[in-house]
Amino acid sequence: MPREIVTVQLGQCGNQMGSVFWQRLSTKGILEDWATEGGDRKDVFFYQADDEHYIPRTIMVDLEPRVINNILTSPSANLYNRENIFVSKDGGGAGNNWAQGYSAGERTYEELMEMIDREAEGSDSLEGFMIMHSIAGGTGSGLGSFLLERLNDKFPKKLIQTYSVFPNQQDGDVVVQPYNSLLALKRLVNHADSVVVLDNGALSRLTADKMHLGDPTLRPVQSFDQANQLVSTVIAASTQTLRYPGYMNNDLVGIIASLIPTPRCHFLMTSYTPFTMDNVDKSKSVRKTTVLDVMRRLLQPKNRMVSTVPSKTSCYISILNIIQGDVDPTDVHQSLLRIRERQLATFIPWGPASIQVALTRKSPYVSANHRVSGLMLANHTSIASLFKRSIDQYDRLRKRNAFLDQYKKEKMFENGLEEFDESRATVEELLNEYKACESPDYISYVRS
Amino acid sequence: MPPAVSSLPGIVHPIEPAARENIHAKSKTKAEILREYRAKMGKSHLPEHLLLRDVLYLLQGISGKYVRFSDLEGGSSDSDHRVVFVDDRDFIVPPPTQALVRKLSELGHLYSRVATFVNERGGEPSIGMIEQSLCHFLQGQLTEYYRMVAVLESQMSSKPDGDPAVREDSGLTLRRLDVWIDEWRLRMRMMSACVENCKGTKGGALVSLIHANTNNGDPFVRSFTDQLLEEVSKPFFLTLQRWLFTGDLHDPYEEFFVAANPDLVDVQYIHPATNLSGDGGFGGGGGTETIVEREEGEVGGLKLWESKYTFRRGMLPSFVSEEFGRKIFSTGKSLNFIRYSCHDSDWVATRSKLTKAGETLKYSDIAGLERSIDDAYRVASQRLFDIFFDKFKLMNHLTALKSYLMLGHGDFADRLMDSLGPSLIRPANTLYRHNLTTTLETAIRYSNAQNDSPDVLRRLDARMLDYQHGEIGWDVFTLEYKVDAPIDTVLGPDSMIQYQRLFNHLWKMKRVEGVLTSGWMRISSGAKTFLRVPEYEHEWHQIRVVMAEMIHFLRQMQAFSQLEVIACHWEILVEFLAKKEGDLDALIEAHRTYLDHVVKKVLLLHPKSGKEENILTQVREVFNIILQFREATDNFYNHTLAESARRTENEISNGVITGVAEASQRHDSTEVLSRILRRIKEYGIAFSDRTFAIVAALSSHPEQDCRFLAIRLSFNDFYKPKKDSART
Repeated sequence: MPREIVTVQLGQCGNQMGSVFWQRLSTKGILEDWATEGGDRKDVFFYQADDEHYIPRTIMVDLEPRVINNILTSPSANLYNRENIFVSKDGGGAGNNWAQGYSAGERTYEELMEMIDREAEGSDSLEGFMIMHSIAGGTGSGLGSFLLERLNDKFPKKLIQTYSVFPNQQDGDVVVQPYNSLLALKRLVNHADSVVVLDNGALSRLTADKMHLGDPTLRPVQSFDQANQLVSTVIAASTQTLRYPGYMNNDLVGIIASLIPTPRCHFLMTSYTPFTMDNVDKSKSVRKTTVLDVMRRLLQPKNRMVSTVPSKTSCYISILNIIQGDVDPTDVHQSLLRIRERQLATFIPWGPASIQVALTRKSPYVSANHRVSGLMLANHTSIASLFKRSIDQYDRLRKRNAFLDQYKKEKMFENGLEEFDESRATVEELLNEYKACESPDYISYVRS
Repeated sequence: MPPAVSSLPGIVHPIEPAARENIHAKSKTKAEILREYRAKMGKSHLPEHLLLRDVLYLLQGISGKYVRFSDLEGGSSDSDHRVVFVDDRDFIVPPPTQALVRKLSELGHLYSRVATFVNERGGEPSIGMIEQSLCHFLQGQLTEYYRMVAVLESQMSSKPDGDPAVREDSGLTLRRLDVWIDEWRLRMRMMSACVENCKGTKGGALVSLIHANTNNGDPFVRSFTDQLLEEVSKPFFLTLQRWLFTGDLHDPYEEFFVAANPDLVDVQYIHPATNLSGDGGFGGGGGTETIVEREEGEVGGLKLWESKYTFRRGMLPSFVSEEFGRKIFSTGKSLNFIRYSCHDSDWVATRSKLTKAGETLKYSDIAGLERSIDDAYRVASQRLFDIFFDKFKLMNHLTALKSYLMLGHGDFADRLMDSLGPSLIRPANTLYRHNLTTTLETAIRYSNAQNDSPDVLRRLDARMLDYQHGEIGWDVFTLEYKVDAPIDTVLGPDSMIQYQRLFNHLWKMKRVEGVLTSGWMRISSGAKTFLRVPEYEHEWHQIRVVMAEMIHFLRQMQAFSQLEVIACHWEILVEFLAKKEGDLDALIEAHRTYLDHVVKKVLLLHPKSGKEENILTQVREVFNIILQFREATDNFYNHTLAESARRTENEISNGVITGVAEASQRHDSTEVLSRILRRIKEYGIAFSDRTFAIVAALSSHPEQDCRFLAIRLSFNDFYKPKKDSART
């Protein structure tokens, strides 16, 4: 029972993330090399075509053709199933407008669902969906929201996990991103089982830091690629245990169930270390990385892929460290003791919580100059600060009633902007629940 | 060597005969007066030559005319009582001479003891070879002794007792005799001591006894003993050589320090090739029995290996240290094992490697001996390791046991659980074995297990343990891994029982894990769509919190078992195996240690007897509580679902209240509901209490790793002993 996962990549950002991810999993654009390796489970993310090539179970959707065309002219083009590519016929995109994306979803519902159904039926025992998108723009955010609702409705017993890129909080290139984000957030709260939050701001900070770029003008182009690399690394690492089955964490539900005790608090942050890029000088790796190093660095806020503002009371609800590489299991033991001794992590007061560790094999096809690398998936209450910021930004924009015309054009907002208010309420509620999580009284928490 | 009697040095008299004549002429000495007096009394001194003849007889263990061996042989070692002087009317033997004779007679006494021994033992067919060669050596010595006696005798008879002066000059006197046989006395004493000691001992122990004398400061004693040992140890070395280089024990008199178990000596393995012939792998046979069950009375490899030969420390000659003795023992055992328990080709290959080392072993070359032992040991152990790893793929089996019985192949276990789950909740007597094996096959085919070698897969078997009335499938299902000879030397039946125990525990854990994750799926993920009854939100929240606690508990247990225990000890085992050091015993021991540790820690066994399973029992109770909790939440789930559906209906029918009937129905359902909720609460509390108890018990566990589990479970100090303050 492979417990397949069907991926849906939406919009410019989602498709770029996706293509880097698939390239990472495959070599030379074709998975044939893998066929000989017995330890992994390819069926989760791939199926074999007639010519025995492995094809990813992914559906690529965009309302404008540019990114997908780029992928289809790249060397890895023949990796994908052409039947799973949807590009809007008019090609106009969603204009960075959530509402446009959402209504495009309504229009193209039949076609999209057909693809998804085909993939779902082609799976032996579908475990769930993985959605890659950004919540700032139009397609990933709007169409993504629409799909979340429909998928949840149509596959109520399947998991939905999203890798959602949150906009750069300081200087977004889309003015209406606070609107888009908030509207998408409501769907992420209500319809996803787990959301891996990838914060664009933190990503570019990380890439810039790590690349030691003195010249900020280099940033936009290069760091964008690097950010995608980083994201694909995160996705690859977080699915490592699914692809290389061991004793535990062989299915998504197992991982999520241990990370998310209460269904609404399902926004996970990630850290990854050590993070090096292909083009970074290899001599930069300072010394031998130990498991303790990795686990300690994973707990450092600067390695998080989310910029949050932790308060004194913020704490971890749960942690899962996925450690790859040549690891002596006894080191894990020692590291856990050390971290506890030094109180490097604060946990919730209302239930047992600890650092879970999963050791996984390294893919033999991905070369890395680090002996040990690690990914942390954590449910941390400081994520609330991200929602707080979203609300604040939204409020600022909304107070001026700015840029609402574009939204009012769409059917959803024809009769009013209640949807905005509802979304805001949902996000605020979530914020409050995360706050409540920091107190022992959370056991008797009642949603207001 | 006995002294050459012919060249006896002349003994120079202190007084010249002429001078003596003078003294004689002048006056009579007191001695002459005494002699004369005695002659007058009719009792003169016994002439020395008569006494000498008697002494020569005595030397040969024969009583003489005037002196005879006392009859009361007994144990009296007092030389005074060894011989008696015959009362004679004519002669008397003066006390100094008596003392001298007595001294001389010791040799005769010793001789007769040795000669008796040689005669008695030499004829017996049942005595050991070491003893035989001892007799041979003694016989040789006795021959020499006879020769000396003969020379002495000729010395005596060649001088007629006419001229006393001449006789006194160069003839045999008692005193001269004493000097001449002095060396022999020492020799004979040692021989006699050997003879004395060797009563009741044999073989190697006898060699050791003799060897004890080599540490003597007297070079004569040392060289004599060395000679003796060289001879005596010859049969020992022959046996040793045969054992060391061919693994064959040839020891008809049980003198060697390796003993064969008479019951097992003829037992041989059935070669796997014949045992498992014509099998097309697991899939091919459609789950049919491919491995022949061991016949009644057939001996397992481990037992054979462990008890076919035993080490007899008492028989180990003391010039071989115990360490070397053990090496020799193990080398021969390994060779014997290769020879009789593996394929012939292995033996041929091994023997060719050993020929280099096969030089003659002897006592005088102890250094060479040790070298040979080391060489042979290395070759034999190496070969045995190679055979086990390369030919019989021991590593594959160990890995398979870890992957299957310890559920290391998680995807396989998940798949098996998914497909078996529904049938395992049924009573045990409704399960059919062929269904189990079919499911097993499917699980293999749909997981990464399919990549394992067919040899491993066909050993896997799913079956039911003996069940009692009322037990369900979960209680009796077990996975089995079958091993055959000679792999069962390492993976003996006891080990397999331990593996089974591990499987049962881990499988139970996996079951609870499955129950919890599907429960989570239902009440957390599914909650988005189904459970839209706001009044129950609070209850659901609490259920989720408790369930999170349970998931945490279970996952920590699992991670602990897998990561802290199995993976760590596996690492140690693999490290040991990679070195390929030591012999099969070391290998068996390493595996046993590995398994013992794993069992002890995974099952959280307490070393104190009577308390072993205290924690395990509690953990099992917790598992049961979780299962019951899940059942109760399912009830609540159904209730909520029904309520939710009813409301939707009401909404559709515009919320028209339909009278009293419904009101009473609702009343009933409230009662049901409160009962369900009470149960859920009880289970939640019971779970928490048990967990507190388990954490407390683990924190004071003597095993450090188990204490660490307590830390893991209470990583954020949630289960701190101060129960009241931690929980409200």
